[in-house]
Amino acid sequence: MARRLCWACGLAVVLVLLTTPLLAHHSFRAEYDANRPVTLTGVITKIEWTNPHSFFYMDVKDEKGNVANWKFEGYGPGVLYRTGWTKNITMKPGDTITVFGWRARDGTNWAHSREVTLPGGKKLFFGPPAGTGDGGNAPAVEVR
Amino acid sequence: MRGCVVAAIVAWACWPGSAPAQTAGARGNASAKSAVTRASDGIPDVTGEWLGGSAERGIREAGKAGSGVGGTGLNPSAPVTLSSNDRPAGREGAPYQDWAAKKVLESFNKRGIDDPTAFCLPAGLPRSVMLGLFPQQIIQTPKQIVILYEYMNTFRVIPLNAKHPDDLLPSYMGDSVGRWDGDTLVVDVIGFNDKAWLAGTGTFHSDALHITERYTRVDKDQINYDVTIEDPNVLTKPWTLHSTIMLREGTRLQEYICAENNLDPAHYEKLLKDGVNFTRQ
Repeated sequence: MARRLCWACGLAVVLVLLTTPLLAHHSFRAEYDANRPVTLTGVITKIEWTNPHSFFYMDVKDEKGNVANWKFEGYGPGVLYRTGWTKNITMKPGDTITVFGWRARDGTNWAHSREVTLPGGKKLFFGPPAGTGDGGNAPAVEVR
Repeated sequence: MRGCVVAAIVAWACWPGSAPAQTAGARGNASAKSAVTRASDGIPDVTGEWLGGSAERGIREAGKAGSGVGGTGLNPSAPVTLSSNDRPAGREGAPYQDWAAKKVLESFNKRGIDDPTAFCLPAGLPRSVMLGLFPQQIIQTPKQIVILYEYMNTFRVIPLNAKHPDDLLPSYMGDSVGRWDGDTLVVDVIGFNDKAWLAGTGTFHSDALHITERYTRVDKDQINYDVTIEDPNVLTKPWTLHSTIMLREGTRLQEYICAENNLDPAHYEKLLKDGVNFTRQ
């Protein structure tokens, strides 16, 4: 019985670890709030294909017609290339896209991108899942 | 041809910077295995493009579909791999001395904003080997093995059957020498500085760090990576981690010039200055 319980606990730990999200170059939750998801549609104004992270900027119009420029962070060019993006072709200034991501903790128009819906309806990930790079669910050492 | 390889190595060595990810520990399935590729002298040939932090076998295109690049691909339900910032797989915590464990925990509670890689510094070892998302390329010759890491554009030159030099300068990636133990490549690494993390947020080390790596290519697609970490200044006993490195044939390593547009540390500072609390406690 004890052995079975131990095995079950071990399996649970492994499952937790297996579902822990993936590496980013920096801490997601220091900068972004996983409890503040945002989905916005707008027109791309600029794309920076740069390391360690790419950024795109997008004009978003509210119900009153006011336009705000938003900044979205994502993967660097190497990862984007390997996951289906082509610079200056897949997404360009002037394109209308929809992006899902998470807002910065200070509530500014800065967010972390995840899924982008391109003009033709194709969906690609521009950034990693929420919660990467901040240490995950448990510290590397036992907490005493 | 040899000249081209040497030129590539020299060009890489001239780049500043270095490589991150981590494996979940599963060591692949028994299906679709094929024979280990061997060099002319009969030992395994580990030359090729590889991805750490993964247990998924397959070609690069398959990797693009999901877990091969860490759950970033076209299949969002594919298993994701561990981050090099996450606690390594397994039930046992890192065996830090009490004072050092508190320091590790401080970094965790600060959500890793002191991660050296956030400041574009090299990921060190074994983190560079175990991180996912960014490939590594191994070039094997009879006398030395060279490993290029896309992440931070770092490199290792590993002479075989050689001794460590007496005049080592402490470095992020250390000084490596290797030997073949049957079908396993054993690499001994010393000569580290104390500025990188081992595996997981806050896992600092001292310049007494000594790492022993064992690379065993168990079939065409998979290298079992077993690493023993010794550091009597911060650990109570050797820390052993097990991971896998999976073949990604055809992957072309990309440039990764981290200092190009690194906005995150300044963003942390601004948030802290503005009173935005993001710590765990």
